[in-house]
Amino acid sequence: MKKSVLIAAVSTLGLLLAACGPSNSSKSSDTSATKTKSLTVWADKDKSDGIKSAVKQFEKDNNVKVKIVEKAYADQLESLRLDGPAGSGPDIITIPSDQIGTATTEGLLKPLTVSKATQKQYTDSAMQSQIVKGKVYGLPRTIETTFLYYNKKLLSEKDLPKTTDEWLTYSKQQVAAGKYGLLALWDQVYYAGGILSSYGGYIFNKDAKGNYDTSDIGLNNAGAVKAATYIKSFYDAGVFPKGILGDQGINTLDSLFTEGKAAAVISGPWNIQPYKKAGIDYGVAVLPTLPNGKHMRSYIGVKSWNVSSYSKNGAMAEKLVKYLSNKQNLLTAFKKTQEVPAVKSLVNSTAVKNSIGAETVAKQSQYAELTPSISAMDQVWDPANNALQVINTGKQAPKTALDNAVKTIKSAIKANKK
Amino acid sequence: MAQRIEVKPQRRHARIAAALSIIPGLGQLYNRQWVKGIFYLLVAGLYLNGFANLFNMGFWGLITLGTEVPRDNSIFLLAEGLIAVLVLAIGILFYWLNLRDAYKTGEAIDNGEAVISFKASFHNVMDRDYPYLMVSPGVLLLVFTVIFPILFSFALAFTNYNLYHMAPANLADWVGLKTFAQIFTVDIWRSTFFSVLGWTVIWTLVASTLSIVLGIFFAVLVHQKDLKFKKFWRIILVLPWAVPGFVTILVFAGMFNDSFGAINTTILHALGIKAIPWLTEAKWTKVALLTIQGWLGFPYIFIVTTGVLQSIPEDLYEAALMDGATAMQKFRQITLPFIMMQMMPIIITQYTFNFNNFNIIYLFNSGGPAMPNSTAGGTDILVSWIYKLTLKSNQYALAAALTILLSVFVIAIALWQFRRSQAFKEG
Repeated sequence: MKKSVLIAAVSTLGLLLAACGPSNSSKSSDTSATKTKSLTVWADKDKSDGIKSAVKQFEKDNNVKVKIVEKAYADQLESLRLDGPAGSGPDIITIPSDQIGTATTEGLLKPLTVSKATQKQYTDSAMQSQIVKGKVYGLPRTIETTFLYYNKKLLSEKDLPKTTDEWLTYSKQQVAAGKYGLLALWDQVYYAGGILSSYGGYIFNKDAKGNYDTSDIGLNNAGAVKAATYIKSFYDAGVFPKGILGDQGINTLDSLFTEGKAAAVISGPWNIQPYKKAGIDYGVAVLPTLPNGKHMRSYIGVKSWNVSSYSKNGAMAEKLVKYLSNKQNLLTAFKKTQEVPAVKSLVNSTAVKNSIGAETVAKQSQYAELTPSISAMDQVWDPANNALQVINTGKQAPKTALDNAVKTIKSAIKANKK
Repeated sequence: MAQRIEVKPQRRHARIAAALSIIPGLGQLYNRQWVKGIFYLLVAGLYLNGFANLFNMGFWGLITLGTEVPRDNSIFLLAEGLIAVLVLAIGILFYWLNLRDAYKTGEAIDNGEAVISFKASFHNVMDRDYPYLMVSPGVLLLVFTVIFPILFSFALAFTNYNLYHMAPANLADWVGLKTFAQIFTVDIWRSTFFSVLGWTVIWTLVASTLSIVLGIFFAVLVHQKDLKFKKFWRIILVLPWAVPGFVTILVFAGMFNDSFGAINTTILHALGIKAIPWLTEAKWTKVALLTIQGWLGFPYIFIVTTGVLQSIPEDLYEAALMDGATAMQKFRQITLPFIMMQMMPIIITQYTFNFNNFNIIYLFNSGGPAMPNSTAGGTDILVSWIYKLTLKSNQYALAAALTILLSVFVIAIALWQFRRSQAFKEG
């Protein structure tokens, strides 16, 4: 008796709910109607000084309020995923170029309308990093790449070895004396990729239209294997200690250099300040040439200004992005933050030339290339690093290890497809 | 029985009251409980009014996971839907209580008993139902802070939520067991799964057992009557526990560095032993990890065991002494059974903790060193491997599915052990 009453009650309730049903008009999809006269910009950590004066001018010219918030550039996309839909997100963000692929797949960035003439003023690879499937998703702000730091106390500029073979010889002498010559993290594809690429290896090939072809991976071609074998000789000779292998290796490498135990390291502009703070009198140089006579290549990182697709004031945000990325404002930003502007005419300007770190970045950029800014890249890092590490620890022959890495990458790309 | 049949024809009130209570409060009004009736009616009205939108959006969202981009965000809709389910479940509970109340009161009227006044029922709540009243805020909190996240990740495993199905450009969909099937069919995962599982099991057993044995050993040692400076020894032995674990692990990672760590350059060097590749050879990394976890884990067991030892009656030992028992016999026949009986739950949690001990594995060597032909590092356990596989490439649905499998495994073993242990039997 009681049960039947209960069943009746529950089913009535169920019917009631079904009758409610989904009403598609419960939320309005039109958000552009709101006219907020304010913008929020997420600037990179400790780098907002570079845009403050430009932002002030923009506020005056366009009668808007711009709020600047500092946030580490590599974490901004992660925050946007939650803050964007919650409505507390920014209008403009700055992210590294290797996140552009992921960001556009998710639809977090608003496509911009940028004239060909404007695009031309940026360095080619920097501009390229902002274009996905023919659409421009942002404007490049600065470029960075790896280069050589050397300790002036241990090595003068004129004695600086120019080729990797010379470095190997020099390093062997240093190791014999209980010190280290050149150190680099060549068990990580971010650092070793430049050597692979100088020998003809590549991550993804490009098809005729300039899009990355994820089925054509060149990490195990003849050139890549040759390069990996050459890299291995540094570990075999004992000039790269085992202690700099693996994910923690970067800390060991930095402390060996800052303690004056290593004469030179390969690192990026992020260490310009820390090494100075550690009291090392260092010089910088482009990467040495390889036995095949080519310059050692490196990967280029681009930081850009992008408009969030959640922005309620997209047109104004786009205007600000263009304003912040114009030549004059990037030069101002460079003077404040020492980040190399991604503008062709500025790379060779006297302002950039007078700053040693910046000049070297600009020079090395000629031999630098972009890491593919597509989401399939997420599947490359770990297997490739894995292969380099097993090669350099002698656990597997270069050819086999790289073949395996490519197999794993292909399989992972397949598994992570839609 | 006979009495019941007699009463049955007179149940008119009860039935009508329950039927009227389909709209909460009407049954109570029919039973002439005016204040209660109006109160119920009001609460029901507020409930429906307040949550109508949540139910509307929630259930629609839960079923469709959104239909239109960029308006709909599948994950928010899923969360909203689950909250709606929970709110509805709570609603149904009270609805049922309302029906029962109307029926019971009606039954009382049928039996010619006096209807309880509002004041009296209020007193009832304060007296008889007091425990329920007290735990209800806690339970409510539990529902939204514990049950909701579990339901959420459980639900996530049955969607295809990953990089290609994220807001605002795309929607996620229900895909049933497809994600689970994927785990067993994609070869890069399948081939590595069993080798990782193997090490996870060894790691769990050895690391936990090591800290348990060390903890008990030191506790019994320090408990010896003749030992002097007991407090001093206890403080020394608890010290590893006093330093935050992640700091210790990072310091150890530095000490175990192949080329520059103090262990190779100072300790082993002084002993005349050649440098050991702690971080580049998987088997040595494993040894290092087990040693560190033993060091990190034993102080807790040590403290608990010390407590248990104080509670063992002294006369048992005296009797054993009379019987001429050796020290070993005393330990095996008296001390150990006492410790085991009281500490079983703690010991089991040690095993489940180490099974998922992400911190030490990831902080020490990121699960490395790299292994040929494997997507996992040489010391990756299941959790750290899942982390590498999924979160680096935004495979949230897969992460959720693997987490469910892991939880099932851990819960099953823990439950089985808990049921076998003595500690929970008296309750």
